[in-house]
Amino acid sequence: MTRVFGDPVDVWVSDGRPVRFVWRGRLYTVRRVLEHWVTTRDWWREQQPDGEATGEREFWRVEATPDREIGVYELRYDVAADSWLLSRVWD
Amino acid sequence: MTWPPTVGCYPGYGIDVHVHVASGYSLRYGVAPPAALVRRAADLGLETLALTDRDGLYGAVRHVRSCGDAGIGAVVGADLGVASPPADLVTGVAAPRTATAGAERIVVLAEGRAGWRSLCRLVTAAHAAGGRGKPAVTRELVGAHAEGLVVLLGPWSDVGRAVAERRPGEAARLLAAWRATAETVIEIVDHLGKGDGPRAARMLALAREAGVPAVLGNAVRYVEPADHPVAQVLDAARRLAPLNRRNLDDRTGHAYLKSVPEMRRVAELSCGPDEADALLAATRRLSERCVLDPDGDLGMNDVHLPAVAGDAHARLVARCAAGLTRRGLGTSWRAAARLEDELGVIARKGLAPYFITVADAAALIRSRGIRCAVRGSGAGSLVNYLLGIGDLDPLRHDLLMERFLADSREGLPDIDLDVESARRLEAYEALFDRFGGEGTACVSMMETYRARSAIRDVGNAVGLPPLEIDAIAKAFPQIRASQIRTALHDLPELRQSNLAAGRLEVLFRIAERLDGLPRHIAMHPCGVLLSNPTLLDRTPVERAAAGFPMSQFDKDDVEAMGLLKLDVIGVRMQSAMAHAVAEVARTTGERIALEDVPRDDPATYRLIRTSRTLGCFQIESPGQRDLIGRLQPRDLDDLVIDISLFRPGPVNSDMVTPFLESRAGTREPEYPHPDLEPALRESLGVVVFHEQVLRVVDVMTGCGLSTAEAARRSLNDARGQAVVGAWFRERALAKGYAEPVVERVWRTLTAFGAFGFCKAHAASFALPTYQSAWLKRHHTAAFYAGVLTHDPGMYPKRVILDDARHFGVPILPLDVNRSGADWHVEPVPGSGRAGIRVALSEVKGIRDAEVAAIVAARPYTSLTDFWRRAKVSRTTAERLALAGAFDGVYAPEQVARRDLLCRVGALDRATGRAPIVEGQIPIGGGDGESPLELELAADVPAGELPPMTPAEVVEAELDILGMDVSRHVMTFYAGLLADLGAVRAGDLPGRPDGSEVLVAGVKVATQTPAVRSGQRVIFATLDDATGPVDLAFFESVQDRCAATVFGSWLLVVRGRLRRSGARAVSITAHACWDLNALYGEWRRGGREAVRAALAAPAPPGRPVGSRIVRPTGFAMSPYSDIGHAGPVAGRPPRGALRHTSQGSSGPAPR
Repeated sequence: MTRVFGDPVDVWVSDGRPVRFVWRGRLYTVRRVLEHWVTTRDWWREQQPDGEATGEREFWRVEATPDREIGVYELRYDVAADSWLLSRVWD
Repeated sequence: MTWPPTVGCYPGYGIDVHVHVASGYSLRYGVAPPAALVRRAADLGLETLALTDRDGLYGAVRHVRSCGDAGIGAVVGADLGVASPPADLVTGVAAPRTATAGAERIVVLAEGRAGWRSLCRLVTAAHAAGGRGKPAVTRELVGAHAEGLVVLLGPWSDVGRAVAERRPGEAARLLAAWRATAETVIEIVDHLGKGDGPRAARMLALAREAGVPAVLGNAVRYVEPADHPVAQVLDAARRLAPLNRRNLDDRTGHAYLKSVPEMRRVAELSCGPDEADALLAATRRLSERCVLDPDGDLGMNDVHLPAVAGDAHARLVARCAAGLTRRGLGTSWRAAARLEDELGVIARKGLAPYFITVADAAALIRSRGIRCAVRGSGAGSLVNYLLGIGDLDPLRHDLLMERFLADSREGLPDIDLDVESARRLEAYEALFDRFGGEGTACVSMMETYRARSAIRDVGNAVGLPPLEIDAIAKAFPQIRASQIRTALHDLPELRQSNLAAGRLEVLFRIAERLDGLPRHIAMHPCGVLLSNPTLLDRTPVERAAAGFPMSQFDKDDVEAMGLLKLDVIGVRMQSAMAHAVAEVARTTGERIALEDVPRDDPATYRLIRTSRTLGCFQIESPGQRDLIGRLQPRDLDDLVIDISLFRPGPVNSDMVTPFLESRAGTREPEYPHPDLEPALRESLGVVVFHEQVLRVVDVMTGCGLSTAEAARRSLNDARGQAVVGAWFRERALAKGYAEPVVERVWRTLTAFGAFGFCKAHAASFALPTYQSAWLKRHHTAAFYAGVLTHDPGMYPKRVILDDARHFGVPILPLDVNRSGADWHVEPVPGSGRAGIRVALSEVKGIRDAEVAAIVAARPYTSLTDFWRRAKVSRTTAERLALAGAFDGVYAPEQVARRDLLCRVGALDRATGRAPIVEGQIPIGGGDGESPLELELAADVPAGELPPMTPAEVVEAELDILGMDVSRHVMTFYAGLLADLGAVRAGDLPGRPDGSEVLVAGVKVATQTPAVRSGQRVIFATLDDATGPVDLAFFESVQDRCAATVFGSWLLVVRGRLRRSGARAVSITAHACWDLNALYGEWRRGGREAVRAALAAPAPPGRPVGSRIVRPTGFAMSPYSDIGHAGPVAGRPPRGALRHTSQGSSGPAPR
């Protein structure tokens, strides 16, 4: 089942891709990148939009595991804020 | 990810990517100019770059030239919309359609000369097949032009769509069909959108399975990621929808010109590392194959003239010889020597077919009875004169050929023809008839985003209410979009408008980034390509709004492509003069040939010397009338000088004053050196003409006129000036001229810079100037009929009408039985004078069909009769009644216009005519009427309603005709103006220089020309019924005056009188008020109240914006010479007169 989260996570990146992350105190190792996509911000909706809005959001849907059990996790990286969130989990 | 990434991390993978790139010439889609894309490609180390704009090759020539400059290979193609077939032709079943069906696109790339030819013809065919604005190809159409083309099928193709929708069977079938049509390649694109990656992988799998080559593309729309908001705004603007994720093509910001490592990374993510390398290699192979050679493939190294039968040069020589006899120059050795010179250059450049073609074109236009004159440097050529292209003898007016045609000039010479504006398209049709649709096309031009259009499109995209967008856009003058925020800060009229409050900051910031982007293709106002049947192999052609075939190339492009462009310019004054001549013939039987009128008529020059030259060509502006007053022209050569002096160049290098002083005899003409006297004598030592620059350079260096012309052209920019300066000094010193002389001459030449005037051009302007003045002097009424019909000048028609009044021409009112479609001359019975009759077409909102119907069914015996037979709309009938068009029908009996208005209403109700909507054809016009009803309607008792007061009459005239016909507007303010002590224009010359005056009048013109100080000076002209009053508002007063000057129609101005010549005066304004506001005060509180209003304190001034300094040292305001905010001065605003009490006139509300 899908669960939606918005928890901040710490992510290790190598060669532009997430390889490990820590969520709720547990270390997850990324086994495989299932999908990767990006979106631009809806700058026209923002109160104080930055007209030079280059910031985008990167999404990584990965297979990762804290131990033997593999789950699918969606990580979101906000380029402007340089911060990672765990946005969804399928397990 | 860091950006931009370093170049060259992956050597060996090839550095040619980007076979799918859109520039700003993909309208409302691409963001970057071709040159910017090329620059970035070169920075990234790419060796080739493709340009594949949407549905056209509008940017192709620029792309090829930019690539040439940057030293990289140019690939050209097009991204073409595909028309969806009604049923799937391959499977024979109805094609499944998704929400985005019908938006399929393919990319085609051209290989070699055959590919370029196919590409041009395919784009032309796409526009012909799809109809205007909806170009589209079909697979069959591509098949018909397949030679040399490579088709790229990407995610937007039918194949890509089938893959996206997981219909592999259909995808394979569609791919096979394309392969049977043309050489086909699969294009993998991954913008990192959700689902892009897996789809790219499936696309690649399809290609591998089918054995079709696959390449990597990025469907580029902009140079760098930060440009994506602009692309998103364009997506919204193209769809006429607000910004919303749903409406965007670009949701990821990745459609930028990526480096090779970035492209590889994307491919690796979706297809794996080995396939990524293979894709890059295949992409490189494809782009290297498709690099075009500008000379061999595009034919840019050659000129492509119309075919001329036989030996063109021999024919040209023969025609020139015949011309010598016809022009009476058969015995002139000067003419013979000059002709030999010119023919020599023409022979060396192989341009004989060009001259024969242009001569044929001019003769063809004249044979249709259309007035045609040569303009510009072409008037300096004897060959043009002998062939009958122009009517000025270059020897008599001392014009040089080299400014037009010289061995040192590259490309085709430029001949411009001025024709009657009203018959310009007729002239085009004649050319298309003669040179054929295969070899003729109009030139196009791109309209680009400027401040107002950018604000409108961005405003719509961010969802502002339409009314608010309109108000914001109109608040700006016609400036570049990039100047929006600077103008908000600089211009007093905008500072005071609350727009700068910050709320609209994003709107303005994005709008600025649309600056200069193409937004609309239009027909160039004058360029026509004349070529041979290979024209359509060289340029794609689409249909312009006016119906003519139009090249997708603009004037610079066609020149680069070696195509002959003839400029056929519509000149309103030529139409005005043609109308005047026709009116003279109609009313008196006298046939005037303007070209044959003696050019030394003393009466004409006497008129010009009075400066009463309103309506005349070139010499009617306030500045020109001032100059005419001081210069006092005596012959055509003086007019040539006058026209050349009224330019920023001569003004900047302060040539006007010494010239005028020498002319008046108060100062001896000074020549830097006696050798220069022959060249400068005509302008008394002052350098005015390009031709004089040539002669001065030639005399001082001995280089010959052809080289001198090359030197003159180099004076336009700072670098050229430095190079030519060194050369000039060296040669002149070597010839023995003293250093101070050389330095002084050089300073004059550089100050003259690029601003000077070509004498041939001035001379070709002086002729119509003289002709128009001659008509004004000798056929005054016909002259005004022509000027009022064709509106050639800068003033609103009511000013011309008032001028006619001053010249004693009776103004005959609108009359349904007498007024025509145009202004006509009409003898005034008993007076022996000719008057001018107001034209029906001046009535607001009247349709051409209504005018024709009114004229056809004349005469009318009553309003009822008119209603029954002319069948115009109720609104038009009401406007005619209010403007007095029926007064003559009932004369001498007087029927109040209000009574007539009521009758129109009654007739309309009685006959039950369906309401006529603007632009619709009237239906069933009054067939249901019965005689009884008509009688009832006609039976409105007269005299029950009060007659309109004179003020109401004038207000109705202003509202309906846009001009005060019966009397001048200002007559109604006499009481107020007397109390204010305002000075009338007619009395100003009697006032002492420097005195403080108050003036008032109707604003008839505002200009912000480039002036010497670089300030933005607002020049305004008021008309107060006794003549024009010229005003100057300097920057120090604009804070308190600009909004009123631009926003009001009737003005009161206080200022200091300045005398600029024997007769001319102008006012340096300190303060101004809206006349109607003061009038309100006056009505309320009398003289005291209005005096108090005048005494209100004013805020201090500050400079308006920075200065632009040209290489010549000439400073300019960035806001000079632009259209202003606010309504145009042409037509009065509604309710222009505050006088008439509300509700007492005008059509009853419905």
